[in-house]
Amino acid sequence: MQVKKLTIWIVLLLLVIALFFLDIFLGTVKIPLSEIFKILITGKSSHPEWIVIVNSFRVPKALTALAAGIGLSISGLQMQTVFRNPLAGPYVLGISSGASLGVAILLLGFSGVFIGSNFSIINNWMIVIAAWLGSGLILFVILAISMRVKDIMTILILGIMFGSATTAIVSILQYFSNESLLKAFIVWTMGSLGGVSKAQLSVLLPSVLVGIIIVSFLSKVLNAMLIGENYAKSLGLNIKLARFLIFLSTSLLAGSITAFCGPIGFVGIAVPHIARMVFKTANHNILIPATMLLGGGLLLLSDIISQLPGYDNILPINSITALVGIPVVVWIIIKNQRMASLG
Amino acid sequence: MKNSIKNINNILDISSLEIGYPNSSNGNKSIFSGINLSAYKGELIALIGQNGIGKSTLLRNITGLQKAITGNVKLLNKDINKYHRSEFAQKVSFVSTDIVKVANLKVYDLVALGRFPHTNWFGKIKEIDKGKIENAIELVGMGSYKNKNITEISDGERQRVMIARTIAQDTELIVLDEPTAFLDLPNKYEIVHLLNTLSKNENKTIIFSSHDLNIAIQEADKIWLMLDNKIYEGAPEDLIINKIFDKMFESSKLYFDKNNGDFKINRKRNKLVGLVANNSNLLLWTKKALERMNFSVEPDNVEIPYVEVINNKWIYRNKEKNEEFNSIYNLSLHLKSIN
Repeated sequence: MQVKKLTIWIVLLLLVIALFFLDIFLGTVKIPLSEIFKILITGKSSHPEWIVIVNSFRVPKALTALAAGIGLSISGLQMQTVFRNPLAGPYVLGISSGASLGVAILLLGFSGVFIGSNFSIINNWMIVIAAWLGSGLILFVILAISMRVKDIMTILILGIMFGSATTAIVSILQYFSNESLLKAFIVWTMGSLGGVSKAQLSVLLPSVLVGIIIVSFLSKVLNAMLIGENYAKSLGLNIKLARFLIFLSTSLLAGSITAFCGPIGFVGIAVPHIARMVFKTANHNILIPATMLLGGGLLLLSDIISQLPGYDNILPINSITALVGIPVVVWIIIKNQRMASLG
Repeated sequence: MKNSIKNINNILDISSLEIGYPNSSNGNKSIFSGINLSAYKGELIALIGQNGIGKSTLLRNITGLQKAITGNVKLLNKDINKYHRSEFAQKVSFVSTDIVKVANLKVYDLVALGRFPHTNWFGKIKEIDKGKIENAIELVGMGSYKNKNITEISDGERQRVMIARTIAQDTELIVLDEPTAFLDLPNKYEIVHLLNTLSKNENKTIIFSSHDLNIAIQEADKIWLMLDNKIYEGAPEDLIINKIFDKMFESSKLYFDKNNGDFKINRKRNKLVGLVANNSNLLLWTKKALERMNFSVEPDNVEIPYVEVINNKWIYRNKEKNEEFNSIYNLSLHLKSIN
């Protein structure tokens, strides 16, 4: 039993490492594997442009995929446990809706300001900041509510309502905006791992790291939350503090990933279920690291698939994660028809 | 009366407690007031009362999940509101009516949650914790179920696991809200008997609410009986002798049968029938069947139409003729047809 578990961990870890290097190896420009390792280790290469490609594009993209996969997956795990709902995900609190509202207001709401002027004013950083402000606003509202509202289901419903309200506002903004800005917005909603620059990575990675550090302190709390808040309370858990920390880490993770990469669907819902399936446990001491490995691996795989066809174009990452994630979610629904009993 | 007992360890003291929902929109909504109760070490206490009278609310007050309107609850001579939450969780454990059905949750992991208030932030399970978890699982007789999923075991087994969790929590007081509500009859008896054993062997004070009066009377050391406006406390036998149980359903058709310690329906018996039998067991069950059919049974009366039971044959005798049946059921069919 123990040996079998250990084997699974080692295989998973090796798989993630292999996918990471495969993701760096693949791309429109063919670079031999030996050269890639040479660049990564010594920083030198016979082709100077390869150094730029590897260091400025491929490595940041692979790191982004790894970080986003890990962050979204453990956010989803936390939300599924807290809301005791198998279909909860990182965006259930309305974080992605908040982010898209921020981006929509920037791109579409101010379109009048930019018409005729220099469109390139709206650079990557501005989109990131707008998305972060949007999700931060939702985070603030949700945290304020969670300190007052007793019933966790009320928070879930409010999160969904916030999401619907922001979607409505975004639709209105879309209706009144011009074509080029609308396209920019649509492209953002498709998600992208490749758009994250080295400088942005220096913000994204620490944010994800802080989120992971918070979660790593929460495995005991999440285990208690699994059997319901009443029982958790009777075990001496400070429910409000626990909720605060869980929402904080989820928002930090999902919020910053969404800000830099756009909303990436289904990874956060599907991966925790894969982890439960592989390790056959509900214990978060195992589920948290398992979800991290599987999440990082799955998004790396999705990124590899998105560039695999050999075309110059890269498929939108959101479509790939949906196509990979939806079968998992469908499988969950069919296998376990009693929704409430899933944890 | 209870003050005369000084030498027993006092675990719980409830005085002038008023329970309900404080600060609701129209002021305080009181459910029950004037509650004065006590619990001593090693006692098994059954909380009895009709649906909606406030049993759960009282238990939630005792376990600190709900605040009282007035009055206080003292645990080990200290007001429960003065405890820090983790200190309180080391003294009181709770099994609510919520059924825990989490996919992939192992029996061992659920019981291990009982160590929550005793472990650090990471929930590190030390050797001493392992020993207590294993011991708790053994005590409830689930030793061979450790690695099973909580969703794969029966309701009665799951309830045992929930009780093991409270044992692992290692508290002075264990409170259970209707632990037998959804169980079949043998499981009801076994669970309450398990509670009795734990209270005696492990010296735990256990309070549980229940609707199974006859089981409670057989197993509990003390009954807390919630009636319309008063709560009675005493050994089950005291409450029977003092006719307290009779008050429970004064307005309904039920009455308390002192011989069985159970409630029975007060039937309108309008037809008379005699009954003669040479076997006391057959006499008893034939009488029960006739009473269910609203007959007023007069044993040994052969002046009126009567039933005679001889060697597993039931003979219905009246003036016109005698008719013989080979089962109570066939007798009952005949009696129905002639009435």
